[in-house]
Amino acid sequence: MSEFKRVASTGEIPLDEMRDFEVGPYRIVIAHTDDGFFAVADECSHDAAPISDGEIDGCDVVCMRHGARFDLKTGAVKAPPAIVPIDAYELKVDGDNILVRIED
Amino acid sequence: MRNSKTEYMIPEKAPELQQGPEWLKKQRRQQRETFNSLPLPQRGLQLWRYTDPARFVFERISDDIAVNGRFEAAKTVEQKHLRNGRLTGLITDVAGREITAHGFEEITAGGGQVSSLATAVETHFALVEPYLYSLVNAQTGKFEAMNGALWHDGIFLYIPDNLAIEKPIHLLRQAGGPGSAAFPRLLVVAGKNAEVTLIDEYGGGPADDTNGAAYSNAAVEIMAQDDSRVRYISLQRQTAGTRFYLTHRARIGRGAQMLTVPLAFGGALSKQNFGVILDGPGADSRMYGLLFGSRHQHFDNHTLHHHAAGQTYSNINFKVVLRDRALSAYTGLIRIDRAAPGCEAYQENRNLLLNDGTRAETIPELEILNEDVSCSHGATLGPIDPLLTFYLGSRGIPGPEAVRMIVGGFVADTLKLVPEDIRERISGFVDERLEAL
Amino acid sequence: MADAVNKQKQDLSSLNEDYASRYGFRDPVDYFHKGAKGINHEVVEMISRMKKEPRWMTEVRHQALDVFLSKPTPRWGNTELLGEIDYDDIYYFMKPIENQQASWDDVPEYIKKTFDRLGIPEAEQKFLGGVSAQYESEVVYHSMQEDLKKQGIIFLDMDSGLREHPDIVRKFFGTVIPATDNKYAALNTSVWSGGSFIYVPPGVEVRAPLQAYFRINAENMGQFERTLIIADKGSRVHYIEGCTAPVYSTDSLHSAVVELIALEGAYIRYTTIQNWSRNIYNLVTKRSTAHKNATVEWVDGNLGSRLTMKYPCIQLVGEGARGEILSVALAGKDQHQDAGAKVIHAAPNTSSRITSKSISKDNGRATYRGLAKVHKNAANCRISVECDALLIGEQARSDTYPTMEIDNDRVRVEHEARVSKVAEEQLFYLRSRGLSEDEARLLIVNGFMEPFTKELPLEYAVELNRLIALEMEGSVG
Repeated sequence: MSEFKRVASTGEIPLDEMRDFEVGPYRIVIAHTDDGFFAVADECSHDAAPISDGEIDGCDVVCMRHGARFDLKTGAVKAPPAIVPIDAYELKVDGDNILVRIED
Repeated sequence: MRNSKTEYMIPEKAPELQQGPEWLKKQRRQQRETFNSLPLPQRGLQLWRYTDPARFVFERISDDIAVNGRFEAAKTVEQKHLRNGRLTGLITDVAGREITAHGFEEITAGGGQVSSLATAVETHFALVEPYLYSLVNAQTGKFEAMNGALWHDGIFLYIPDNLAIEKPIHLLRQAGGPGSAAFPRLLVVAGKNAEVTLIDEYGGGPADDTNGAAYSNAAVEIMAQDDSRVRYISLQRQTAGTRFYLTHRARIGRGAQMLTVPLAFGGALSKQNFGVILDGPGADSRMYGLLFGSRHQHFDNHTLHHHAAGQTYSNINFKVVLRDRALSAYTGLIRIDRAAPGCEAYQENRNLLLNDGTRAETIPELEILNEDVSCSHGATLGPIDPLLTFYLGSRGIPGPEAVRMIVGGFVADTLKLVPEDIRERISGFVDERLEAL
Repeated sequence: MADAVNKQKQDLSSLNEDYASRYGFRDPVDYFHKGAKGINHEVVEMISRMKKEPRWMTEVRHQALDVFLSKPTPRWGNTELLGEIDYDDIYYFMKPIENQQASWDDVPEYIKKTFDRLGIPEAEQKFLGGVSAQYESEVVYHSMQEDLKKQGIIFLDMDSGLREHPDIVRKFFGTVIPATDNKYAALNTSVWSGGSFIYVPPGVEVRAPLQAYFRINAENMGQFERTLIIADKGSRVHYIEGCTAPVYSTDSLHSAVVELIALEGAYIRYTTIQNWSRNIYNLVTKRSTAHKNATVEWVDGNLGSRLTMKYPCIQLVGEGARGEILSVALAGKDQHQDAGAKVIHAAPNTSSRITSKSISKDNGRATYRGLAKVHKNAANCRISVECDALLIGEQARSDTYPTMEIDNDRVRVEHEARVSKVAEEQLFYLRSRGLSEDEARLLIVNGFMEPFTKELPLEYAVELNRLIALEMEGSVG
């Protein structure tokens, strides 16, 4: 079981926005929604576009390239053209710190 | 929104911009302007589909180029080879800054030139100016413009007409320390009917990137003039704390033959672009590449074979072996111009995936504008045949060793294509990498 | 970017009241008879009213229009030709009453010549030439419908499908190809008209291939057809689109969308012979989803048009699903066939095969663009891709751009491509057997096309052979 790593501070990401980060060899995106912070992989499963360039809609993220939609909490597909989910990572907030755990 | 550092401008005061004679300074300024004005390539498209260009944007934080123990050890080995007459010469290049040449009497006696590029731009204008930046420059791309502006010192090799150099020349390049950036540059001019073999080794670097990665952005230009024979082995085996970018271009003249052996073994992130232009009838290019990826290595390779003249031949065979979470992306383009009849071009890319979690992408491309052509390409991707592992297991060969044997077999027929006199050295590099696979 | 999306959200929230109230008083028939060129929300609203569609479809159209307007023209492919499209200079639904029927004199010579050589009856010629509004084969159409009804099979034009089976349509429409997929899918979603709607109930096998040819009229034929085929569990259907005879149209932009859904254990084969006249830009999105143990086959022939961009796709989302794509392209003078195939493996134990054959002659350009993608969860899958390109003449061009993205190690993926000209030895041999150079070349080309031709129903295969003969003679285009 891997460790939680500190990736960002809560102040870095305004509400309804997201930022991309490199965590070791992984590219992830952390989104700030009404329901809190969520972390998913920064690559759309449809055509490799950066999720972090997309838009947040509620607790979903919409990829800017072809409109694929994913649930930020689980990575599940909410709308085509994606047909396969993206990885969602465990995230916890500790004070001002956002920690993410990525299973290898 | 993107967090990554995507804005970096080469400052006007960068010291390299003041280096060299006026013609060179002018070039550097132009390259800098292009770099600063070009946007970063769009992530996820074409040549940057699998690699985020932002990962190659950096600010030079340190000038640390301390020579480390491994480099010294490698240097000692090569110096021994030189003394034993197995090399014509040895050039050491520390982080694209300190260039030292050892040996080379045969070349200098024959009228050739081996020197640091910074020296050659002053002393050998007629040989350098027509060729430097002719193949790798700001027009090639943003990162090539960066090397074009900021290379500190490089290597220049000139083999005059009709001089055949039998024993290889070894270039030993070391990456810098954490947070450093190196811009190695090589210019090779092989005259008519000349012959030369180069082993270009990129090694060194910090053990990991906890204190910042060591970046290298390298450019190689090779002019193989009519009827020359050039053999170039590119050995990239930097450490896990490095990010490596290379653009390599060769122009092959009428009747000239080039053998290129790209060996991609090292670096945490490595993007290499090898291109040849077949520029006269009878030009012949063979490229035999091997890539081994393990842990979280990320390789992105491109090859370009441009047949600009008729009656030319090219053959590229590229083999990839991946384990753990390694990734290999390969895009290879063969282009036959309208004015180039009677060409033959072949490409093969085979990928061996040793476990779940590896990723391989391959895009072999063809653009054929002349009907008089014989052209084909093939690609395969897959795991080791389970029957093979079973068979070896039943012969008492344990798992890891069996894998090494099978991988050895997978690359064996590529190694057979390499000429005998350099095959042993190359097999040596491959074996070393296989041990660590 | 955020601003544009927010504005879009605002616009859409007041959508219903806005358009309905603005245009409520207009008579769509009148509107179109006066002639409406270009595309905007007014045109879209009128199209939907003209068809008396449920409100949800009207909203889908409006939303898709916003997507179309916001997306740029693709920066890949034949950007030169794509850049020539003037979106404001097109009739997106009906032409004004004066323009509705072309005169026989307007039909290009090369098309008339082809009709004659193919032996097409006069009435049919008039229809294909856009001169007559309806093909006189009502009888055939009606008797076919009787048989289908008995089995519970629904085969209607898309407009009627929406009207008579709104629930089925609503469930599946846009689920395979959303409007956001690409600019031309968005365009089609906003102004679609015509196309076929097919639903096959569980376990039913449709005995003969279904063809749209016999019941469409000029109004529905071509521009923005929308086809939706659903094969329920265990059912089988074969659908044929188009015909080998050239079809003349003055509408220069064609952008169809075809969605196929093969539910568990079902089989769908979709055959297309596209032979649009040489003035047409044919930008099509065709995609299918194959569920558990289902099979989808695309047999795709591209002969006509100035520029075709089309990459039939199979998404294998259920274990054991299978896919096959057979694509053939003939690029003659001034033509660019930019075709290909995409297979996406998103489930284990799936397999697919792609065979692409192309011929370029004169200054024609044939491009193969393909994708073979294996997701992490697709263990034990097999993919085989074979591309063969034949070049005839000094000006011909062939491109191959195959992409393979493999995220699972338990796969067997093989790809092979060859480009060559007609082999000298073969020509020599045939000529030594008494054939003329033209006859020999034709024989070789027919042999090259054979894997495709043998998959076609007989009458199509015969016509295709005649067409190739014409093309090789150089007497077309």
